[in-house]
Amino acid sequence: MKKAIAILLVLMMIAPVFAQGAQEKADQPVTIEFWTHEDANRMKLEDRYIEEFKQTHPNVTVNVTRQSAEKLIELIQTAFAAGQGPTMFNLSIEDEYPLIAAGRVAPISYEAVGYKNAQAVKDAYLSGVLDAVTVEDDVYGLPLELTNWSIFINKKVFRDAGLDPEKDYPKTWEDMVEVSKKLVIREGDILVRRGYDFRYGYYLVNNVPMVEQLGGQLISDDGKEAIVGEEAWVKFLTFMQNWGPNGENLGSPTYTAARKLFNKDNNDIGMCSTGMYQEARILNDNPKFYNSGEWMVVPYPRFKDAVKDVAGCYYGHFYMVNADADKATQKAAWELIGYMLSHGEEYLKNVGIIQPTTALMNSETYKNMPYSDVFTSDLEKGHIVYYGASSTEIQSMIKTAVEAVMLQGVDPKQAYLQLKASAQEILDEQK
Amino acid sequence: MNKKSGSYSIERKQARWGLLFTIPCLVFFAVFSFYPIFNALITSFTNKQALSRTSKWIGLDNYIYIFTKENGGFSFWNSLRATIEFTLGTFIPMVVIALILAVFLMQLRSPKGAKFLQLVYYTPAVLSSVVAATIWMILFDPRGLINQMSNLLLNTTGKDFGWLVDNTMLQISTMIVYFWKYIGYFVILFITGLAAIPPTIYEAATVDGSSRWHTFWRITLPLLKPTAVLVSIMAMLQCLKTFSTQYMFAQNGAARQPIDVITMNIYFTGVRYGRLGRASAMSIILFIIMLLLTYLQFTVSKTDDVEY
Repeated sequence: MKKAIAILLVLMMIAPVFAQGAQEKADQPVTIEFWTHEDANRMKLEDRYIEEFKQTHPNVTVNVTRQSAEKLIELIQTAFAAGQGPTMFNLSIEDEYPLIAAGRVAPISYEAVGYKNAQAVKDAYLSGVLDAVTVEDDVYGLPLELTNWSIFINKKVFRDAGLDPEKDYPKTWEDMVEVSKKLVIREGDILVRRGYDFRYGYYLVNNVPMVEQLGGQLISDDGKEAIVGEEAWVKFLTFMQNWGPNGENLGSPTYTAARKLFNKDNNDIGMCSTGMYQEARILNDNPKFYNSGEWMVVPYPRFKDAVKDVAGCYYGHFYMVNADADKATQKAAWELIGYMLSHGEEYLKNVGIIQPTTALMNSETYKNMPYSDVFTSDLEKGHIVYYGASSTEIQSMIKTAVEAVMLQGVDPKQAYLQLKASAQEILDEQK
Repeated sequence: MNKKSGSYSIERKQARWGLLFTIPCLVFFAVFSFYPIFNALITSFTNKQALSRTSKWIGLDNYIYIFTKENGGFSFWNSLRATIEFTLGTFIPMVVIALILAVFLMQLRSPKGAKFLQLVYYTPAVLSSVVAATIWMILFDPRGLINQMSNLLLNTTGKDFGWLVDNTMLQISTMIVYFWKYIGYFVILFITGLAAIPPTIYEAATVDGSSRWHTFWRITLPLLKPTAVLVSIMAMLQCLKTFSTQYMFAQNGAARQPIDVITMNIYFTGVRYGRLGRASAMSIILFIIMLLLTYLQFTVSKTDDVEY
């Protein structure tokens, strides 16, 4: 008995030492390397959130690296390849999915982000939104933003060309050509003002839906065939050829991106494709133009003979955490993500990005955002962008095909055959 | 005998010091050149992907692939064509014009003027390639200076010469950027070579009544041969390694195919698409091409030492 009491006493004396050890471990310094893309409006918010988070987590240091969205893709891929990936980061889903497939990112630490389990997270978001980041019941990312693009219009440019923006805005892609022909100003062959121009480089988001409207597909439903529907693809490529400098000369990938010019309101672009975040950017870059009411948003056009009513794809930027980080760092990173994402309404109001929780999508804040009804309507008619182990590569192939017909004068049928062969090869390699 | 062993000892001593001084350089090359080459060679025999943690030995499959398949629409053969066209179109004019400019600068009577022009020619070489390409992208824009100048020279109005659109013009554009950026560097190298030719030789030629033209062909050029060989090899290797100009152009909307030089294909295959094994095989082929061409150039030009 005496022996048992003695052991108990010793254990009681030792226990606080272990507890203290655990406490010390929890308070150990943690450094989070956070890589994200540039956005002036978001930067202001997130810098504030990080400071607030650090006050409640004095042991956590957060080093933020911001790069352009295009550059960030390369940096993150290269860093992961070298085993030096950041602790937390965000990319568009088509670029993030290969990291999930390769087991390089960690599943959510549910409690750290304020949820009981995976189901609770899924329930908090719009149905299906987390499918792209769900593998075997575990969720690997939380959406910083879910974005779809509609058409932004500068009303002044329309009126300058003798058009009524409210009535004459393009409803079909054929209208887009005709309206653009009226809006363009040329000096000889050189475009001084464009009516509309595509967002070259983002073919999966903005152009694949055009093919789908015509009955084509990027990948067949069974996942075995790439570039499905010859007629649809050739028609799309012919449309792009006609759009380019060797056709109607309405735009080209070599001109400054339309979206970058739009906010300046310099009478050099009439329309561009972009997301709700553009509203906050117009306000930030050119408050006078924003407040003038001289801009509006209209739905993604359809082809006249469309067989499917599809709008532009939506894509998600998901916050993810590096699986190679130690558990304490992973937990701290998820806590930071959870804290930042608990400000969904502020992100929407100040940055114009949608974090698609059911609560936010049903909120008055969302409903009161200018043209949110247009974006919602297009969102319902669109689907998530194609993501897979080789989505980046397939996007590059579409880019090559479009450039070939627009800039190099390649016959659309030939460009289609080349595209199909290349994409099929990549798809077959994945099997 | 004693004298002989003494000189042997001094030579050994000097050799030891020489070795000591070359060690940092050897270590640098071992870490940053030899190891990556060796590593690329090993990787080229595997199916290594950037994001996967493991890889499999696949022998020569990557090499067979790059010579027989389309590589997602960007075949190695197309890259070889783009690289050869760029190299021939850039390095030959660059070497010839660098030599002409160097001779011109050496002939200038005002040293201040010569120094100023050297500075002007060399300045672009200091700029980062990315900045240089960005500046030229603006100049080549349909509304940019180059297109306007082209219209002025050809007496046309509002013609888009397609500097970034037309296949041939696009290739010429990349050549112009590269030429502009590196010409000054090679001019300086030629000036160094020209300055090393003793003036007494020219004086003797003048006394003998040799014309300037004759002096250039019979004296300057033969005595400048080692420099010319060095410059041409350096220029050729530099052109074979070209990357940032083509990359910046392709990133800003120009078609990739006409200017898809080998380095750019390596970059896209390895970094963007994560196929490190395949990209390494391309790197090794480029390395072999560079090695062979350098050897060939050395052999053809028979670089005997020139003695004055």
